[in-house]
Amino acid sequence: MDVIQALEQALNKNCILSSEEACRPYECDGLSAYRQKPLAVALPENAEQVKQVLKICKAHNTPVITRGSGTGLAGGTLPLKNSVVLGLSKLNKILEIDPLQRTAIVQPGVRNIQVSDAAAKYGLYYAPDPSSQVACSIGGNVAENSGGVHCLKYGLTVHNVTSLTVLDMDGEIIRFDEKDDGLDLLALLNGSEGLLGVIIEIKLKLIPKPEAAQLVMAAFKSVKACADAVTSVLKQGIVPAGLEMMDKFSIQAAEDFAQVGYPLEAAALLLCEVDGSHDQVKVDAQRVADILTQNGAYEIRVSQNEKERNELWQGRKNAFPAVGRYSPDYYCMDGTIPRSKLAYVLEEIDKLSEKYGLKVANVFHAGDGNLHPLILYDANKPGELKLTEQFGQEILKLCVDVGGTITGEHGVGVEKLDSMCHQYPEAELEIFHGIKNVFDDSGLLNPGKAVPTLHRCAELGHMHVHNNQLPHPELERF
Amino acid sequence: MSLQSSISHYSDQIKQAVIDKQLLQIAGNQSKVPIYEDAQILSIADHTGIVSYDPAELVVTVKAGTRLADLSAALAENNQMLGFEPPEYGDSTIGGTYACALTGPSRPFRGGLRDFVLGTQLIDGQGREMRFGGKMLKNVAGYDVSRMLCGSKGSLALVTELSFKVLPLQEEKTYCIPMPEGEAILLMNKMQGTSLPLTGCAYFEGRFYYRVAGEHPAQDNRVEVSICTNDIWKTLNPFQPQLAPDEKLWRLDVESTNPSIENTIAVGMGGTRRWVASKNKPNHPYVTLWQSRFAPRNNDKPCVQRIKKGLKEVFDPHHIFKDL
Ligand SMILES: Cc1cc2nc3c(=O)[nH]c(=O)nc-3n(C[C@H](O)[C@H](O)[C@H](O)COP(=O)(O)OP(=O)(O)OC[C@H]3O[C@@H](n4cnc5c(N)ncnc54)[C@H](O)[C@@H]3O)c2cc1C
Ligand SMILES: Cc1cc2nc3c(=O)[nH]c(=O)nc-3n(C[C@H](O)[C@H](O)[C@H](O)COP(=O)(O)OP(=O)(O)OC[C@H]3O[C@@H](n4cnc5c(N)ncnc54)[C@H](O)[C@@H]3O)c2cc1C
Repeated sequence: MDVIQALEQALNKNCILSSEEACRPYECDGLSAYRQKPLAVALPENAEQVKQVLKICKAHNTPVITRGSGTGLAGGTLPLKNSVVLGLSKLNKILEIDPLQRTAIVQPGVRNIQVSDAAAKYGLYYAPDPSSQVACSIGGNVAENSGGVHCLKYGLTVHNVTSLTVLDMDGEIIRFDEKDDGLDLLALLNGSEGLLGVIIEIKLKLIPKPEAAQLVMAAFKSVKACADAVTSVLKQGIVPAGLEMMDKFSIQAAEDFAQVGYPLEAAALLLCEVDGSHDQVKVDAQRVADILTQNGAYEIRVSQNEKERNELWQGRKNAFPAVGRYSPDYYCMDGTIPRSKLAYVLEEIDKLSEKYGLKVANVFHAGDGNLHPLILYDANKPGELKLTEQFGQEILKLCVDVGGTITGEHGVGVEKLDSMCHQYPEAELEIFHGIKNVFDDSGLLNPGKAVPTLHRCAELGHMHVHNNQLPHPELERF
Repeated sequence: MSLQSSISHYSDQIKQAVIDKQLLQIAGNQSKVPIYEDAQILSIADHTGIVSYDPAELVVTVKAGTRLADLSAALAENNQMLGFEPPEYGDSTIGGTYACALTGPSRPFRGGLRDFVLGTQLIDGQGREMRFGGKMLKNVAGYDVSRMLCGSKGSLALVTELSFKVLPLQEEKTYCIPMPEGEAILLMNKMQGTSLPLTGCAYFEGRFYYRVAGEHPAQDNRVEVSICTNDIWKTLNPFQPQLAPDEKLWRLDVESTNPSIENTIAVGMGGTRRWVASKNKPNHPYVTLWQSRFAPRNNDKPCVQRIKKGLKEVFDPHHIFKDL
């Protein structure tokens, strides 16, 4: 009996997809440039069935690619030819909300926004809010340690998960809790990109909805002035709930798309939200406006009500699709840098944009130095995707060279394997492989993702790529 | 000694210990390390000082032997602080605090020590120097080793440098209300579900204490409420009560809504921490004996034990550092 037959026998037949057509939606995640049809897709309906899938795959030595909603942007759920995709979308129940304790226990396939919606009647919400929150699953959020606009103040996923139930490749249940003693294994599972275990239950922290929020929009004549103004706000003791920056190109695209009244002639636009109690927000919004004015903002708008606040956000929230309208394809990068290097890094990205002849729009979480350069390209032009990827890698290298990192929130997946070689030397990578081996000695959980082999890095000469030519282009890059 | 030379000095010591098969006890200011006769002390107490600190980045990088008091003072000069309010036992080091994962009353509100760790530099049991994480607020490249090592108590690696997210100092006010323990536990949970900007909730000697940061509404909604000094948070953190000769101090980690537990002498951290004074170990899943030489809890399930043992092999294959 082969693995597909075994799965069909163990689960309801309609839980197993294996035809070309049925598997097509599972060929890729949000990084659609890479596609691969898996052997089969298993869509279990409960934890017991997840366990069976794992046991069967283990017995057949078949790799398992766990998948939430497939919104990942780093190719973390890209199947292997001989793999089974384990889709958790049917495990989509909110099991419990305890308003007094302010916690929610959920299955992994629950979508991020559903938690906040369900908690709303108690005046509570779930803080991490990736822009994909209407679609992405909590399981995927944990596996990627996702962040969002609010994470400067309210943290990433890792800060808001208090306990996890995980199945290992043998189907054994392991619980990790914030109350555990000794090593913080709960933290280790966050951001583990589906390589250490299959998350089947999650306990989340809920927090009270802030009483009030106000958004300050400020326009600047130069990127540097804007970056410096951000610095001043943080230095003066205000931790905004959101602090987002857009460059000229993004402002124009967003305004063209959403017509919210962003100043078109600005070189950089800052959106700074403060939240908390009514009293605090009043004080903070005024202080932010003052600080930004003192730091060169030539136009300031402070939202006077919820309607205005939401409207002002619309441009930023639609910036990606807005920019997307200018080009058949775009490639969204994700690197983090020390904020003090912002102006320098943006200048360098400009130079690279000229070098590659590809336009870039910059939208980013300025509060935590997380950049999202959008590289515009046309996949139908031969070679342009390759060029775009090289451009992207150069941006990530730049991030590492100024003391930053190759990913702030999207994860490594297959996309940034080569860039990992640039960020981490051999000893660290060995430790990562060691950790993987402790959790999954068969190496069947999402193999080949997130941590490059030492062999691969050696081949790349630790990313010292000359003339933009990768050595051994004939070798499979994943 | 320059930074690099002192690091390689530690790494040489570890490599030598591997050759000599000598067990090493990593120590900060030794407020608490268990003494093993067969272990040699590897002290990091001299490795002190701030490596980099830019207040506008909200990040500080510090050598592990730095005293908490020195670090806090440097941050306070810039109107900033460590968000996790670590207990100060006199000359605690930041490395020892990290290795014991110690956190203060603000934990339910701002987060615990692990929530503020951004990166570490360390030397593993083979004497290899490495860095994990970084100095940025966001980084998801590779497994989160820097957070994982919180609470590792010197069992996996010598931590030489740590980067933390820091927060602005805020003005805080403490209020208190006399009431029975059970009522206080309920009230503190209810209050934590409101938008009042709380940074502490505790129960001690017949009173419910709560601390509020920044601008907030007047707290005159109850007749019994009175304002008191912020000292109570120092009394509870570190909590060092007078005990009867035959009593021991136990630290229990529970859900915030857990009802009163027998022999509790203080409730901290928004209800999630209970301090119990009793002769015998309270019957509870998350209990730590809190004494001058710390005792590990050691009640992991077999699969977790297997993972921890496996990680020990990864970081310290020659078993140079003492076990967790
Ligand atoms: C328009 C758009 C905007 C986005 N904005 C943001 C943003 O603001 N911030 C941000 O952080 N990300 C963002 N993302 C990326 C993505 O949404 C997140 O990474 C999200 O957490 C992925 O969730 P998912 O359920 O779609 O996971 P998937 O894409 O299905 O999987 C992602 C990874 O998690 C693993 N995984 C999934 N579920 C489990 C599980 N239960 N157990 C173990 N491993 C599992 C997979 O193996 C894979 O490695 C955005 C994506 C899009 C398309
Ligand atoms: C009376 C009293 C009781 C206490 N009870 C407890 C208790 O029961 N449980 C508890 O966890 N804490 C307890 N503490 C707190 C502990 O002493 C403090 O955490 C202190 O802040 C640690 O700093 P130190 O420099 O003294 O560390 P040390 O006492 O020197 O070391 C503490 C632990 O951390 C490890 N360590 C120190 N530095 C490093 C480093 N750079 N890299 C890797 N590992 C390192 C050591 O190996 C050791 O396991 C107690 C303190 C006192 C005074």
